[in-house]
Amino acid sequence: MWEFITSFYESTIFVYGLTLLIIYAILAILSFIAIASYVKKNKYFDYDAIVSSPLTPGISVIAPAFNEGLTIISNVKSLLTLNYPVFEVIIVNDGSTDETLQLMIDEFSLIIVEFAYNPKIKTQPVKCIYKSTQAAFSKLIVIDKVNGKSKADASNAGVNLAAYNYFLCTDVDCILDKDTLLKLVEPIMKQNKGRVIATGATLRIANSCDFDGTLITRMRPPKNLIPRFQEIEYIRSFVMGKVGWGYINCVSNVSGGLGLFDLDIAIKAGGYDFLSFGEDMDLITRMCRYSVDNKIKYAICYVPITLCWTEGPSTLKTLMRQRTRWARGLAQIVSSHFSLLFNPRYGKMGMIAFPYIFFFELLAPVIEFLGILYFIFLIFFGLINWKFALLLLVFVYSYAVMISTLAILWDQFTFRYYKTWGEVLRLCLTTFLEFFLFHPFIVIFSIRGYLFFLSRKKHSWGNMERRGFNNTTLSTAK
Amino acid sequence: MDFSYFTDASIAQLLEEFYYSPLIIQIAIFFIFFSVLCILVTYTSILTKRYKGYRLEKKLERINPIIDDLILKNIIFNDELNKDAEEGEPANLIPLHDFQKIPFKSAFGKQALINRIISFRKSFKGTIAFYLRQLYIDLELDKQSFNKMKSVKWDKKVVALVELTAMDMSIADVNILPLTNSKNSELRAEARHAYIKLSKNEPFKFFDVVTEPLLMWDQIQLFKIITTTEDIAIPNFARWVTYSTNKSIVSFCLKLIVYYNQVDGIPAVIKLLDTKDHGLRANAINCLGKLKVDEVEDKLLEIYGNQTQNCQIEILKAIGRIRSGKSIDFLKYEFLHSSDFDLRKNAARSIISGGIKAQETIQLLLDTATKENLLILKHCMNPLIKF
Repeated sequence: MWEFITSFYESTIFVYGLTLLIIYAILAILSFIAIASYVKKNKYFDYDAIVSSPLTPGISVIAPAFNEGLTIISNVKSLLTLNYPVFEVIIVNDGSTDETLQLMIDEFSLIIVEFAYNPKIKTQPVKCIYKSTQAAFSKLIVIDKVNGKSKADASNAGVNLAAYNYFLCTDVDCILDKDTLLKLVEPIMKQNKGRVIATGATLRIANSCDFDGTLITRMRPPKNLIPRFQEIEYIRSFVMGKVGWGYINCVSNVSGGLGLFDLDIAIKAGGYDFLSFGEDMDLITRMCRYSVDNKIKYAICYVPITLCWTEGPSTLKTLMRQRTRWARGLAQIVSSHFSLLFNPRYGKMGMIAFPYIFFFELLAPVIEFLGILYFIFLIFFGLINWKFALLLLVFVYSYAVMISTLAILWDQFTFRYYKTWGEVLRLCLTTFLEFFLFHPFIVIFSIRGYLFFLSRKKHSWGNMERRGFNNTTLSTAK
Repeated sequence: MDFSYFTDASIAQLLEEFYYSPLIIQIAIFFIFFSVLCILVTYTSILTKRYKGYRLEKKLERINPIIDDLILKNIIFNDELNKDAEEGEPANLIPLHDFQKIPFKSAFGKQALINRIISFRKSFKGTIAFYLRQLYIDLELDKQSFNKMKSVKWDKKVVALVELTAMDMSIADVNILPLTNSKNSELRAEARHAYIKLSKNEPFKFFDVVTEPLLMWDQIQLFKIITTTEDIAIPNFARWVTYSTNKSIVSFCLKLIVYYNQVDGIPAVIKLLDTKDHGLRANAINCLGKLKVDEVEDKLLEIYGNQTQNCQIEILKAIGRIRSGKSIDFLKYEFLHSSDFDLRKNAARSIISGGIKAQETIQLLLDTATKENLLILKHCMNPLIKF
């Protein structure tokens, strides 16, 4: 009986693992096709036509800020210099307790305006709305609101104020490429198979990049090992994962750091859920649901180029906080949208994207953790066939390294992001360490997030401890 | 743990061992070899790709300055050519000898030449542009471009169209027109671009044959081509508003009617108010408002009650743009009694855009408005707030 149970368990896990590996292989192929097609088509795309056209749709750029005094001025200036003909920048000061608001008032000559604010999505009360008296900052609107204890609540206040049909949601501390809006609006303009309700692009770690103010002048893979592992993780997740899913219109999440959304659908879907820890994924799920429920043929697109750089956690402590929150958000989303699972009514979302999230994102750390416990148990009782165990370990390891290396190659197809050979090589070699030095922590942090979710532990939403990009510039300039 | 297995076993033993291993292990071994091979291939690909990119950059860095010097010396600063031009018709006296040297005999060299000639031609007009085109023809680079047109690959065709359009080379309608309806959006857009620029007869003929909807990107690009191409006969776009069955063509023509202020097209646009399509009707109302057609104001008020919110907003905006002052009471009523916030805001904005004619109403509303209405009025009156 015991033998049957162990045999059944081992076979199930092997089939599970093999399915996951096959999915990765399929994603690698799909993302390659998508990237090759994007690169080929993009050679002839005339971005100047968008810049000079009166027909270009306007975009509201929404960036919530909570205690961002260190970088707020340079980051707002960066947003104001985006290369796009029609846009506004909405900064939502979410009850900062530092000098974030006062710094903006002083720098941009802001005054309180009597604004007819119509909250289509419920948020914490808006205290004041500010506009600049200087024509140079006429695109800027600052909302000062009561702290809603979540980025979602602040983003919703921005969505309520947005004047254009599309809004870009970003973090105020993210550095955007100056052509971000042009490149994100492109799929909306060119899509003929449905209404594009959201587009996203690759995010990258900014920790060791060189900056001139808020402009990236030189991209480098992070020198510190923890952010460098995240760089690989981001490349794999965005360039291979999301671009691959995007090719078959199965994107389940557009990152909170950078995403362009259809305002009308986002509002009708209820906006961001302020109780969610994974508000970005939750919004996409609800937008998809709304579209299907209302018979709107929708598409979610991913652009395979890097348009946003963010400061990644550089210590295990901050990484733990971030990943615990993400895992908790994932568990929340799966639990609140469980009816989507294998629901044919929701098409690809119900039959492909959501089952993948459930089985291979939510359950993966649990299965992995149980696998380790089982392995220890077998060692303890001397039941291990070491030859086979080692072979299986090498199998999983070599496959993981292969997938990460392929992701780096795909990334190199779109743009030669790193200037030197050494930098690419350093990144490639890091993939050999990720499996042992980074991945186990991610599993543990995920389990921690699930436990917090199950125990409903209280969690206060706050900012990651940041060094600020100016400091990064100084450190890299040394 | 006994690792001697890995060191002592011969290949035959290993194969035998593999053969008798469980399926799971066989799969694992297969994937290990596959992964290692794939990693090695990937490394080689990254290496090759970066090296090729580096080589290309270096080659271009070497050849482009040579081409630029030749063009500057032989065409732009060639006094002989300029003298001929001053005396009358430009003469064909371009010294070709230097351009026919070895680096330009390869396909790469020829392509680099084409790219630089196009780049220079974008910056010049008149005689120099004429001679740059002449150089392109004399070096028989046009043949290279026409050969690309024959390719089955869409991207080669696009390159050919870009080159031929940039050099004002005429292409037979029979070759371009089918491409204006291509399923490939890049090829379709470039073919339309080329057709409008190069067609001698009816540059907008493809509007009649377009079956697929014009995407937002198509419209933006066409708008740019139509409004920036010189010496193009602008037709009366109302023709397609009346006859086209393609909604996106009608919608696009409405925008062009506004841009070219084609008042002749107003009757056709007014007729469109009866269409069942809400989107098109909203576009038509928008067009009439921007053309400031005051005779349509009564009709807009008449249909207002049974419109969708989108069309109602467009009607309110149109009245604000027409600024006849006739509909102040209507706007006031909507502002005070509508339950929809956006309608009230747009009504207020249109009242305020009425200027002197609406001064009395504005003051009255300011004096008597509720707190929320007062906020809407102040919002609309504040020049710092655009929307």
